[in-house]
Amino acid sequence: MSHSSVKDLETDSLQSLSQAQVGCDFQIRQVEGPGCEQLRNLGFCESLQVRKLANGRNLVCSVCGTRIAVSSRLAEQVKVSPIES
Amino acid sequence: MEDSTTRIALAGNPNTGKTTLFNALTGSAAKVGNYSGVTVDVKRGTAHLLHGDEVELIDLPGTYSLEGKSPDQEVARQVLCGEHDQIPRPDLVLCVVDASNLERHLQLVLEILEREVPVVVVLNMIDLAEKSGLRLDPVKLSEELGVPVVAIQADKKKGLVELKQAMRKPFPPAPESLGWEKGDEDSRRAFGLATGELAARRPEAHSSNTSDKLDRVLLHPFWGWVFFLGVMFAVFWSIFSFAGIPMGWIESLQDWTIGLVEEAMAEGDLRDLITNGIIGGVGAVVIFLPQILMLFFFIGLLESSGYMARAAFLMDGFMSKVGLSGKAFLPLLSSYACAIPGVMATRTIDSAKERLVTIFVAPWMSCSARLPVYLLLVPMLLGGSEGGSVQALVLMGIYVLGTLTAFVVARILRGKLGPDEVESHFLLELPPYRRPQWGYIFRHVIERGWAFLKKAGTVILGIMILLWAATTYPKLESDDPGEVLSHTIVGRVSDAIEPIVKPMGFDGRTGTAILTSFAAREVFVGSMAQLFQIEETEDEGETRNRIRDRLAAETWPDGSKMFTIPAVLALLIFYIYALQCLPTSAVVAREAGSWKWAIGQFVFMSAFAAVAALIVFQVGTLLFS
Repeated sequence: MSHSSVKDLETDSLQSLSQAQVGCDFQIRQVEGPGCEQLRNLGFCESLQVRKLANGRNLVCSVCGTRIAVSSRLAEQVKVSPIES
Repeated sequence: MEDSTTRIALAGNPNTGKTTLFNALTGSAAKVGNYSGVTVDVKRGTAHLLHGDEVELIDLPGTYSLEGKSPDQEVARQVLCGEHDQIPRPDLVLCVVDASNLERHLQLVLEILEREVPVVVVLNMIDLAEKSGLRLDPVKLSEELGVPVVAIQADKKKGLVELKQAMRKPFPPAPESLGWEKGDEDSRRAFGLATGELAARRPEAHSSNTSDKLDRVLLHPFWGWVFFLGVMFAVFWSIFSFAGIPMGWIESLQDWTIGLVEEAMAEGDLRDLITNGIIGGVGAVVIFLPQILMLFFFIGLLESSGYMARAAFLMDGFMSKVGLSGKAFLPLLSSYACAIPGVMATRTIDSAKERLVTIFVAPWMSCSARLPVYLLLVPMLLGGSEGGSVQALVLMGIYVLGTLTAFVVARILRGKLGPDEVESHFLLELPPYRRPQWGYIFRHVIERGWAFLKKAGTVILGIMILLWAATTYPKLESDDPGEVLSHTIVGRVSDAIEPIVKPMGFDGRTGTAILTSFAAREVFVGSMAQLFQIEETEDEGETRNRIRDRLAAETWPDGSKMFTIPAVLALLIFYIYALQCLPTSAVVAREAGSWKWAIGQFVFMSAFAAVAALIVFQVGTLLFS
């Protein structure tokens, strides 16, 4: 019980990629949801860095040097945390 | 069914240059039947290894994972697992990996390694990776994976000798042990990421490169659209304006050939068949070859430069309003050239329902085979000769009308089919902008041109000969050409169908021309020339004018004008909407998985065309009289 609530707390403090600020680098912390397989295949995996390049109906981000366009609804399934520089 | 052929498969993520490598290894021996940029079908070709051993090379569609849902990924999985019903399991797999994206692309390599097949990893596009500051270590990668790794640059043909050395028999065995727990996705993923980082050291986190800078403008909510519309306009404008020059050449060649035949042969049925039936009929179709080649050239250019993915990105918002996604843009755009590659390109669409809808409406994107008909009819509407900006506008209107109808029908059909069981989202890799691969584009253009000529030389030639015979026999000795024609088979067919087509404003001969064009719509122009007995001339450009003059002068038995504006409009509308292309129906049946869809589509589109033509003629006549 306590383990799961700690995890929940951690998840709550993360933001989704669609809320994240444009132009900043983030670390992917969690990929979960019905579309996560699709996301993982394209390289959205935990611990990788992602930079958000543009907002919109489909947002643009860069993972491992590849630009990927992803619908903002799908991006909600990617939880990220900012990388302190 | 055991055979001794050695098979080598090329596998990898989309856009890693598999097809470029395939072409480099097979030379011109490639058996190609697919669509530019996106390999949606399995291609097979023959390659020779260093000692002259012949092997069969199989180019698989790009896939991110062997567990992918879309049909192209399914094919790749089946072949690699030895479950494909026509292609036996390959003896060696070349895993092509984009060196700039090692961490991501390694995942597929690891999945393939789990299948226990001999593997050679091919690190492609090392030049781009090194330019972006990556430090690659193929030796380290080979140690970690336990299989040979070769670094190459497929487009410049660099590293091919080393690759062929690695492909020597006996093939390297599958690794005995894996560095991760087989079948455990998390373990595999972690191993892939760690190995990727070891073998390709990145410089400091993301630095903005040229592609990023370009994207800032090209994906901009306003400037992106300005550029997109500019590109689309430039493509269509150049097709219609520049193609005129080579079209003139073809016309001259045709007239010259007719002249030769007429000089060499005595007057008679055979000469008539050759000049009017064969050269005139087929020539009326072949003349559109330049436009078709140009359309394919531009699509190849957009694809190869990396812009096509941006166009899909921009169009996604718009397409979603009609129930489709940005991924349907590419198939629909290629359908302007020809519905066949368009329908085949729908394989990249994940959602099965969206794919069916896209296949269903794709033939409404006015394909290049309709152009001959439009170019004949549009000047008749405006009462002038060919050319001019008003005609260009009308022509554009025709394209817009077809497209809009397609979108409306897509919207309705998508609503009827209901939502997907598994929701699919827009997710698309935006490849870096690259210099177009000219060799690849030109090869593609030549293939499509050849396919068109083959069709002209077979289907269209056959119809033209049959039609010539049907307009010549049975013969009647009379000086009145009208009487002679009405005695022939076509004359009788015309009389029979006239009551059906008359409400749309057409007489029996036009009706017959429409009938002949159901196998291939471009036949219409040649048929009209034959049915209205228009003689070929030596003067280039004169033939189409003559058809028009002749049609403009045609009258009904009561003396009223036959090709009035409403009648020409109705004819145009019919050609915008009717599905008159047997090869398209065959491809639709194959891609949709059932003839029901193909037949349903054919019946629906033909009925739609007939009703639309009927309404246009009837309402038009009311308004104009």
